[in-house]
Amino acid sequence: MTILKEPDFGTPASTSSTSVTVEVDGIPVTVPEGTSVMRAAATSGIDIPKLCATDSLEPFGSCRLCLVEIDGRRGTPASCTTPVADGMKVRTQTPRLEKLRQGVMELYISDHPLDCLTCSANGDCELQDMSGAVGLRQVRYGYEGENHLSLEKDTSNPYFDFEPSKCISCSRCVRACGETQGTFALTIEGRGFESKVSPGGLSFMDSECVSCGACVQACPTATLQEKSVVQLGMPSRTVLTTCAYCGVGCSFKAELRGDELVRMVPYKDGGANEGHSCVKGRFAFGYATHPDRVLSPMIREKITDPWREVSWEEAISYTASRMREIQAGHGVGSIGGITSSRCTNEEVYVVQKLVRAAFGNNNVDTCARVCHSPTGYGLKQTFGESAGTQDFRSVAAADVIVVIGANPTDGHPVFASRMKRRLREGAKLVVIDPRRIDLVRSPHVEATHHLQLQPGTNVAVVNAFAHVVVTEGLVDEAFVASRCEGYEEWAAFIAQPENSPEVVESITGVPAAEIRAAARLYATAGNAAIYYGLGVTEHSQGSTMVMGMANLAMATGNVGRDGVGVNPLRGQNNVQGSCDMGSFPHELPGYRHVSDDAVRTVFEGVWGRSILPTPGLRIPNMFDSAIAGTFRGLFVQGEDIAQSDPNTAHVTAALTAMDLVVVQDLFLNETSKFAHVFLPGTSFLEKDGTFTNAERRINRVRPVMAPKTGKHEWRIVCELAAALGYDMPYTHPREIMDEIAALTPTFAGVSFAALDRLGSIQWPCNENAPTGTPTMHVDSFVRGKGKFVPTSFVPTSERTTRKFPLILTTGRILSQYNVGAQTRRTANIAWHPEDVLEIHPHDADVRGISDGDSVTLASRVGATSLRAVLSDRMPVGVVYTTFHHPVTGANVVTTENSDWATNCPEYKVTAVQVALRAQPVDAADATEATDELAPARERAVID
Amino acid sequence: MTTTVYVPRDAAALSVGADAVAAAITREAALAGRAVRVVRNGSRGMLWLETLVEVVTEAGRIGYGPVTAEAVPSLIANGMLDGGDHELRVGVVEELPWFRAQNRLCFARVGVTDPLSPEDYRAHGGLTGLRRALEIGPAATVAEVTDSGLRGRGGAGFPAGIKWKTVADTPGELKFVCCNADEGDSGTFADRMLIEGDPFCLIEGMTIAAFAVGATEGYIYIRSEYPEAVRTFRRAIDIAYAQGWLGDDVLGSGLRFDLMVRVGAGAYICGEETSMLESLEGKRGVVRAKPPIPAITGLFGKPTVVNNVLTLASVPAILADGGAAYQALGVQRSRGTQVFQLAGNIARGGVFETAFGISLRDLVEEHGGGTLSGRPVRAVQVGGPLGAYLPASGLDLAMDYEAFAEAGAMLGHGGIVVFDDTVDMASMARFAFSFCAEESCGKCTPCRVGAVRGVEVIDRIVGGEDVDDNLALLGDLCELMTDGSLCAMGGLTPNPVRSALQHFADDFTPRRVTP
Amino acid sequence: MSATTPPTVRLANEIARQFHHQPPDTAAAAIANHIERFWDPRMRTDLQHHATTAPESLDPVALAAAKLVGS
Repeated sequence: MTILKEPDFGTPASTSSTSVTVEVDGIPVTVPEGTSVMRAAATSGIDIPKLCATDSLEPFGSCRLCLVEIDGRRGTPASCTTPVADGMKVRTQTPRLEKLRQGVMELYISDHPLDCLTCSANGDCELQDMSGAVGLRQVRYGYEGENHLSLEKDTSNPYFDFEPSKCISCSRCVRACGETQGTFALTIEGRGFESKVSPGGLSFMDSECVSCGACVQACPTATLQEKSVVQLGMPSRTVLTTCAYCGVGCSFKAELRGDELVRMVPYKDGGANEGHSCVKGRFAFGYATHPDRVLSPMIREKITDPWREVSWEEAISYTASRMREIQAGHGVGSIGGITSSRCTNEEVYVVQKLVRAAFGNNNVDTCARVCHSPTGYGLKQTFGESAGTQDFRSVAAADVIVVIGANPTDGHPVFASRMKRRLREGAKLVVIDPRRIDLVRSPHVEATHHLQLQPGTNVAVVNAFAHVVVTEGLVDEAFVASRCEGYEEWAAFIAQPENSPEVVESITGVPAAEIRAAARLYATAGNAAIYYGLGVTEHSQGSTMVMGMANLAMATGNVGRDGVGVNPLRGQNNVQGSCDMGSFPHELPGYRHVSDDAVRTVFEGVWGRSILPTPGLRIPNMFDSAIAGTFRGLFVQGEDIAQSDPNTAHVTAALTAMDLVVVQDLFLNETSKFAHVFLPGTSFLEKDGTFTNAERRINRVRPVMAPKTGKHEWRIVCELAAALGYDMPYTHPREIMDEIAALTPTFAGVSFAALDRLGSIQWPCNENAPTGTPTMHVDSFVRGKGKFVPTSFVPTSERTTRKFPLILTTGRILSQYNVGAQTRRTANIAWHPEDVLEIHPHDADVRGISDGDSVTLASRVGATSLRAVLSDRMPVGVVYTTFHHPVTGANVVTTENSDWATNCPEYKVTAVQVALRAQPVDAADATEATDELAPARERAVID
Repeated sequence: MTTTVYVPRDAAALSVGADAVAAAITREAALAGRAVRVVRNGSRGMLWLETLVEVVTEAGRIGYGPVTAEAVPSLIANGMLDGGDHELRVGVVEELPWFRAQNRLCFARVGVTDPLSPEDYRAHGGLTGLRRALEIGPAATVAEVTDSGLRGRGGAGFPAGIKWKTVADTPGELKFVCCNADEGDSGTFADRMLIEGDPFCLIEGMTIAAFAVGATEGYIYIRSEYPEAVRTFRRAIDIAYAQGWLGDDVLGSGLRFDLMVRVGAGAYICGEETSMLESLEGKRGVVRAKPPIPAITGLFGKPTVVNNVLTLASVPAILADGGAAYQALGVQRSRGTQVFQLAGNIARGGVFETAFGISLRDLVEEHGGGTLSGRPVRAVQVGGPLGAYLPASGLDLAMDYEAFAEAGAMLGHGGIVVFDDTVDMASMARFAFSFCAEESCGKCTPCRVGAVRGVEVIDRIVGGEDVDDNLALLGDLCELMTDGSLCAMGGLTPNPVRSALQHFADDFTPRRVTP
Repeated sequence: MSATTPPTVRLANEIARQFHHQPPDTAAAAIANHIERFWDPRMRTDLQHHATTAPESLDPVALAAAKLVGS
């Protein structure tokens, strides 16, 4: 399509259910009460000139272009700040108004550079548009008066420039930073004519700016402009697609000039993001065209051989014949596959189908194993569906928000902005996290309670919450009676004194009074919502904790409507989808167990092959079986298991033991060191398909460019299947989705055509819910009655010892993503050049460690080194790091401990020791080490 | 026998050495073997007499002024402590014609009492209004204020009772009363003199407002240029809490009202009510668009009464004497009294409280004594820097909101600034723009950019450059600022410009100027 | 748990610890059910092998469960 210009109604929509009718220039228009005159006019097709108003921001009333006349009212009120009243008669075009508007534009232009023709915003500048719209013909003030034309340009941000000489002081950037993003990095400095936009008196790069792009998006002129637009020119066409970073799944307009991608602009109609973005999705797409990308297939006999570029045909036939050889020698179950949460639903679906129908076994697993598999297990057991209960929008109706083991402002920034908006409106916040995440106290947001628990004691805390609810009479009896089962047994368990806040205090380190107060707050909120992340799941009791939260939500009636629920913040763009698509060894698409004969029969009918009724191997089981010699061939779609899975030594031993490792990826990575076949993959800009985000929202991923490798990933898999003698004759990914829909009741109504029509669909989507299901379990739970499951707290076996006296826990940072394979290949590296170890000043002091020292970090399974940063964000005894850089090798130290139910690794608790390194590493050494390791350790996946 | 001597503690008196005068009196009296009690009162408002020392005698409080520390020995030697004669003796203060011509309701205690003496306050009728309010209840209190015809003294003249009723009728657990003491208009000082001279009166007025509308918290926003007022008011609040006049149980009635002082940071625009609210919230002082109005969505988004000092300080007397008594004063829709402030080039500057309806000429010529320079009055600006300039021929105007509006002027906060015939009105018009350029919050375009362009256009006119075109442009700019500005700051800036052009067109003829 | 513990033994024991609060019979049944639903058959066989050859390496309820699991 040509460039997509979204309509701008000037002010946000009113949510009132009362409507009023007004007359704008003689045209009657009916709008909700509270709508601005400007929006009412726009609704009836009349665009009132405006500059400071835009419908993503609250009305401000500063530019004074949108003045109108209203019968019976004095003066010329601003249409943006004037709400409609029934029967109001508005005139938007009169000689008086025309003169006033020209007068305003005359003032603007008297202090603006006259370089329209050479300006980067030429053609996409609202100031330019408005000059035309109001019919400005002259600037009688001349251009010699006092002005801002000599203000210096700030080019410090790697992605956008700030050119204050072009600023019209409309404050849209300042307001976007506050209202939309919630960071409040920008302000207007000075007074009167000296008023100017300022990132707190600093450069953008040195400021609090998080580079989300909201200000650039909001700027009506070229004052805040993407560097790519300055360099490449205005884009001329738009492709609507979906971001491939985190599980928020933001919709973007990819804007191109010819075939060159100029910029990614968040899409206002995107259900997940509603026009907002973060630094990754908005700007960090350059990795897709990075020279490190491998574009041709490669094979080698032995992993010690050099890679040899081959044709697609050779690579595929080689892979097929080796796979069959292995099966011939070691049995049908000796090979398997791993699907990627970075790939589309269609790409994932064909891989699990390859494994089940062509390999003939259930040895398929996905990277969700190492992140949210406990979510799938826990929510299925209690609610009956392996997914979060709400849409993101729901947080706007929450009165109390409980964030457990998640760091939304870094990990899920666009959702965090929604959450912060609600918190600024007055919702209360409870943070349960060993680390003082930014959300605990940030501009205009402060947690009512921060329960700074010892890592590994989540279940004890959630049980104590529930104990308070049950023993203090805070249970929603009516909800429990009509909607749930198993309550009595659970209540008897949870009411035991061992679950009281007072008893668990010594285990969790959280004062009992704090837990009691927080639990009361949650239970009596009205609408209370739980949001959680990997700090819940990546524990040996991850599944127990998920069930514990579900129990708590059911007991207080906080399920099944807006503003409540149990909501996983999922890590990867398509982790929900990859699970939905049958990537688990025990489940066919739609979370149906392979032992279900009826389900299997349906699949067998369509697939034409019989499916094994017994579960296959999970990823860690594959490694164990490889070492035992019963598992010898692996197809890995877009996951760097050697980098991302725990206990690196164990993983590499398993990979080394295999006869055939096939890696399909963008870059050579740590796993490909052990691979025999490398099949180059495609970036999200080349893909054609769908991603499903954390709110079960299926979004279209549309190709911005042709596959740089010459082949779509789904096609590679189909050709491999064909070479194995099993035809998957799709001609387009839409046909794959049609098959998914035909076989999966929760996807029955999903198709590319439906997605094009509706924009996005939240499953379940079927006859009962033709446009999808934003909120689940509304009248009844998917499993019928919600099931209370007793959640006994069993501490992890990972304990601190004299040798390893500290607990290591891990997390993320905003600018980097996962192991950084993509973000490190973009300018985002400017914000986070290395991973550091955060250590409490007390723990540092007793070890003689100073801020910035190089330290070794050792556990019982391995050791690595990195730089120490003194920080009191963690309690004494807990250290913290990120793992965005391969050189950090965080998984060298993580152990084989895992969630009892799903084998999700216990990344969040490792007993370690930290010591000053004898030989300090200087910056040059560190860089050298990175360079050496970086190409080999890529695209790893932890969440 | 101890003699009581009053020496003002008002900032105007302090600025001319009142502290030294007080010290000198104590010292000299001791030397003379006389027992004196020096009471630091507020100012009587006759600023040309400051430091005005008053000695309590059987004949009444005898005034001496202006007194300097140097003059004290001679005064005491001449029997000042017994009301003795001296060239600085002005007689019984309350019988001075300037004083007798006034009707002091709002300023009834200012200059009379020790501002921080709760005993004085009670002895002079303090708390009568509040007690009555508590007795008649919130709705009747609002009605009393409505019936009094009291209008906002900050400048806009909005009926106080209607505002209070709006706040009272808006549901909300938390409501605020905010007192605007960011008195930044040129030629105004009545707010300051009241705060320094009778702070309990304002506290009582705010408490009555809180009771009437259901507010539990009050803030007073005092400009940082008034350090004495800030100090005095903070002490007054402490005393009021100690007396049980503020806090959890005001006067034992169960009413809860807490009062806090916030100090401005030098921005004129924070005298605009919505900017003041922003500033009170800890934000940059910029104007909010209305609607929503502060009465419904005010401080921290809660229903809020925002009134000027004089409005709130008028309330105790209204409640004490009844709305009808107040309403009986004044003319037309301007009821009660106004505290006029005489300033600029004037012989007798100070505060003059009287009922609305007095003519500007009476104030300037009869009570103010004409110009200090002795030259003819050429122009008078009423209502602060954004008020219109009235020519000497227009001084018969009655001090009445509507009469002023009709004449294209405004009463504002009651500040009257007098200029003699040496004034250059083109430079005064230019000053209006440059003041606006300096003090604009910078939010709306007409004010932010227009004010700067206004200065430039006047310079071009005076410089003889395309005079007719530039005069037309100036007219258009004034129209744009009037109709298009977000708040009164930009909207009223054309007032002084247009009135200067209208009445003093000759001053705008081309000549060489040094800006 | 030492690194040389067979993986199926380690995993079964990890599961067993979660069920210690239940009566041994209930726990064993629940564990057996879990293993049947989530374990590859070769792992079940392996566990049963260890249950026979090295019963002392297994938690008592894990051992009981291993005997309930169908291979």
